[in-house]
Amino acid sequence: MLTYEPGDSFAHGLDPRSKLAVQVGFAAAAFAHTTPRALAVLTVLVLALAAAARLSLPATLREFRFAAPFLAGAPLLEGLTLGPPWFSVAEATVPALSSYRVLLILLVSAAYVRTTPVRDSRAAVQRTVPGRAGQFLGVGVALVFRFLPVLQADLRRARDGMRARLGTEQPLSERIRLVATGGLRRALARTDRLALALRARCFAWNPTLPRLALGRRDLPALALAAFLGAAALL
Amino acid sequence: MSTGTGSVDLVGDETVENVARTALFAALVGAFAYVSFPNPFSTAPITLQVLGVFLAGIMLGPVWGGASMVLYLLAGALGAPVFSGGSAGVGALLGPTGGYLWSYPIAAAVTGVIVHGGLALDDPRRAGLARLVGGMVAGTAIIYALGIAGLMVVLGMGPVTAFVQGAAAFIPAEAFKIAAAVGIVRSDAVAAE
Repeated sequence: MLTYEPGDSFAHGLDPRSKLAVQVGFAAAAFAHTTPRALAVLTVLVLALAAAARLSLPATLREFRFAAPFLAGAPLLEGLTLGPPWFSVAEATVPALSSYRVLLILLVSAAYVRTTPVRDSRAAVQRTVPGRAGQFLGVGVALVFRFLPVLQADLRRARDGMRARLGTEQPLSERIRLVATGGLRRALARTDRLALALRARCFAWNPTLPRLALGRRDLPALALAAFLGAAALL
Repeated sequence: MSTGTGSVDLVGDETVENVARTALFAALVGAFAYVSFPNPFSTAPITLQVLGVFLAGIMLGPVWGGASMVLYLLAGALGAPVFSGGSAGVGALLGPTGGYLWSYPIAAAVTGVIVHGGLALDDPRRAGLARLVGGMVAGTAIIYALGIAGLMVVLGMGPVTAFVQGAAAFIPAEAFKIAAAVGIVRSDAVAAE
């Protein structure tokens, strides 16, 4: 699964904010210039970024197999014609380039996910978004990371319980209702305990955050982000 | 660690409850992405994410329901594996299914407004069947409209092929989720606040 992995690559040492800036710049440039030549340049850049994050491209591409039907389907469906020659390369070119552009953007975002711990991402949110909105988003992101595996296990238990009671013989909407109710009831019980725990630990709008500092290492990343952003506008 | 010298600004009790509930619902929608059922109308399986979007609007109301979907998108963008297929990253928001994802906050808020008849949170068990179903149908329409728009923008598809690939096989299955959501809200199993 695509998650953070500790390491000492160049990308691991960067501030999360500069990595986010590179992603935004890259996506903007890729959307602004979806031409074969620009995508070739961006492909070279993706290879460099993957090397900087020590990202294995074959393993990462396997993570994005969910997108494969869309990415492959778009040019194939658009290229189909009702009658000879049955497939038009001209019609399929734009979707094919667009699909390839999406693939490059997915790889760049994978490099961020692989090299950035949750704590850093959370601190980046809380230091970037001002005021209570930023605090809410930062805390919320940390809680989602924490509770996702817990709620997944809850839903698995609800599903196992349904199977054990021959719930699989029920119609589809009833099965969905049984599993979702089980998951929801447990999640609501956890909510109450979490709220109590947060209050007991003096949940505050001004917590102590891990230190984030843009250093000299971030200069090339920020320069790249600025260059990509400028290229998108040209 | 940086240390602050200001006094602690505690979060109010009611807001603590809402923050906890909002974050847990965002995580629940992520966990729902992993629960799949065979689709009687297509080979693509049914996942429960959209049911989570409906429930967020119904149970949390339009404001916190929408906020929980914003959290869901942000956590996913920052690397929580909450999107379909366990994917994550900013790329997913700009990818082929990005249009569907961006629609979730809007769909949850609109479902909430229709079910609760405004921005205030009411007991959803008191909402009539027409309101419940109407809210979720409106949410479904928003999700698929933006999903198809996303496919057209991101992959350069025409509207017809985008509909064929991105909606035709999935829309009938939404009826099952709407039926399940009505059952959940009407049941006593989940005590609505």
